[in-house]
Amino acid sequence: MTKKKGFALTMVVLLLMVAALAGCSGGSSSSDGSKELTFMFRGGTDEQKAYKDVIKKFEEEHPGVKVKMVVTAADQYATKLRAAITGNNLPDIFYFAPGDLKAYVNSGVLKDLTPYIEKSKDINLDNIWKYGVDLYRYDGKMAGQGNIYGMPKDLGPFALGYNKTMFEKAGVPLPDKDKPYTWDEFIKVNQELTKDTNGDGKPDQYGTGFNVQWALQAFVWSNGADWLDESKTKVTIDDPKFAEALQFFADMQNKYKITPGIEQSQTLDTYQRWMKGEMAFFPVGPWDMSTFEKLPFEYDLLPFPTGSTGKPATWIGSLGIGVSSKTKYPDEAVELVNYLTTSKEGMKQLVDAKVQIPNLLDMADEWVKDTKTKPNNKQEFIDIVKDYGRALPGNYTYNAEWYDIFFTDIQPVLDGKITAADYVKQEQPKMQKLLDKAVEQEKKSQK
Amino acid sequence: MITKSNLYRKEKIYGYLFILPPILGLLIFTLFPFVYSLYGSFTDWDGLGQMNFIGLDNFKDLFSDELFYKSMYNTLFLMLGIPIGLVLALLLALGLNRKIPGTTTFRVIYYIPVISSLAAVSIMWNWAYNGDYGLVNQFLELFGIKGPNWLMDKDTVKPALILMTVWKGLGYTMLLYLAALQSVSRSYYEAAELDGASGFQMFRNITWPMVKPVTFFLVVTNIIGGSQIFTEMNIMTPTGGPEYSSASIVFYIWDKAFKNLQMGYASAMAMILGIFIFIVTLIQFKMNEKSSFDGD
Repeated sequence: MTKKKGFALTMVVLLLMVAALAGCSGGSSSSDGSKELTFMFRGGTDEQKAYKDVIKKFEEEHPGVKVKMVVTAADQYATKLRAAITGNNLPDIFYFAPGDLKAYVNSGVLKDLTPYIEKSKDINLDNIWKYGVDLYRYDGKMAGQGNIYGMPKDLGPFALGYNKTMFEKAGVPLPDKDKPYTWDEFIKVNQELTKDTNGDGKPDQYGTGFNVQWALQAFVWSNGADWLDESKTKVTIDDPKFAEALQFFADMQNKYKITPGIEQSQTLDTYQRWMKGEMAFFPVGPWDMSTFEKLPFEYDLLPFPTGSTGKPATWIGSLGIGVSSKTKYPDEAVELVNYLTTSKEGMKQLVDAKVQIPNLLDMADEWVKDTKTKPNNKQEFIDIVKDYGRALPGNYTYNAEWYDIFFTDIQPVLDGKITAADYVKQEQPKMQKLLDKAVEQEKKSQK
Repeated sequence: MITKSNLYRKEKIYGYLFILPPILGLLIFTLFPFVYSLYGSFTDWDGLGQMNFIGLDNFKDLFSDELFYKSMYNTLFLMLGIPIGLVLALLLALGLNRKIPGTTTFRVIYYIPVISSLAAVSIMWNWAYNGDYGLVNQFLELFGIKGPNWLMDKDTVKPALILMTVWKGLGYTMLLYLAALQSVSRSYYEAAELDGASGFQMFRNITWPMVKPVTFFLVVTNIIGGSQIFTEMNIMTPTGGPEYSSASIVFYIWDKAFKNLQMGYASAMAMILGIFIFIVTLIQFKMNEKSSFDGD
């Protein structure tokens, strides 16, 4: 009996040793005595290359600091990060979504950067988008105010692009960037541009092809509706204004036939159609600029068409760069974050690589004036950030489950099988239930 | 006496040493996570912070969770591919067991999907199923059939996934059947032939019973594997498909645990899934015992 116990004990001790070893977190000294930081991020190939170059420069300017980069595929990034947190194996520096800010702060994952930023001579918060910095502020109750737990990697204003060459070829007057289309005008222009060019009876040039998950917001907001109320605790999709916008969105395919039909509506498809020059309008984010530079046609930006409010609307995406609360080298880690987000040298390289808009206000002014690079109307990106862009609804809540389910269930509306009015009625209670759960979870995590 | 006991003890130590690596592996990678997850299922753990014990609340919530039932149903539905795969593989194996030229080539062809990466295969099928330019619909067009957009329609997404999993597993199942068929002694068939048995009679009374252990093994492993299906839908329908109609139970667990900060709830589901697999496997073993071939 005792022997058995002894054996079991040995096992347990071994187990604990292994567990302890596996639990070592990032921030190790490399063999040559320099300080090694791990940086986990994601992005397209052009973006990765740009970031690698910037980090190389950082290493040159900071002898004794080495940065180990961990790149993951975009759709797996969040999962990998969660797994790293659960496994107590967090990189020193990493991207995180603004929607996760509260959860990560409440559970002590993120380091409070405020003292480092206040101390630093290089950072002038007045020269960075206030919207961007505020996304990463949290005072323990409300996001948007309080201490800073991350710096915006960039801001991603989601603008509407159009194929200028196609307009000219079709003899359709070019859109006015200062006077957005109304919904009716938008449909009319799209119908003029949806064409069967090779005479096989099916259109092979379309007006547009929006992905509902990323483009519906523009229509809903511009019609004066939203997913959430002011308090961010009530789902408001059962508003008739909301249903009207959703119905309009679905009608673009079913009634007005200006977008590829049900069987062609995959996102990949519409993106490729746009790239091939077979689509008049398509949303453009700053991250697309390097890819779209090589498009076989001229494109430019304009505001999304306006609903009943008469004002265009769209969202601004963002990713924050945060520092692990367990990092061994907080000073160096914060230094790197600042280099990537606020330093002139770092920002210049990233902007030149055409993967983002500048974080720095003065640099943005210069950038807008530069007409040598596409798109011409870069001002639109800046207008979205300054004037009318908003955060995605899922960002406000502890988790985005309630928001995601809206898009999971939406296919029948897009296919014209049920009306938007029926859909919002059926979906609201379901979403409310999940939102209530998220609110409850948030309360629990605060204590 | 003393020396003998010493020798015995030494041997015992060596014995333990030899079994130490697998036992350690079992403890670290199986038992420890299992116990951790079991405990987690009774907490409101969000995967980040503290674990608060909340008793059976997670399990209670599960019973009124529409998506839990839906993903459970999807998982069971996808298992329709198991009998289809078994029948097809057995037929193929019977065909390839004959001495006709070219069988080796066919065996290789059928086995290629098995050794291919599941992720790569999923991406390939993703293209094949595209409603607009996909291979599947182009093929159907030859017969004048207008194919649906397979992965975007809730009625076709599950059959599409079944077709793919059957295709992927066919080579493996076929190979096992082929091995089983080849171990059946020729003498049984010769004896049956002498007795004037027809081809079907020979199959029913000799081949089928002789490959039964393999069928049993395949059914058990396929059901266990089928309950845990994940990669295919994660790549082909990353949001769980239209109206969540292709989300498997493991997909839902992953969704809750890593996307929606509900690790405790996900653990509870994992426990239910574990119990389900255990019971189903137990039933199969019992059934196999009862009907097993008493000959020899």
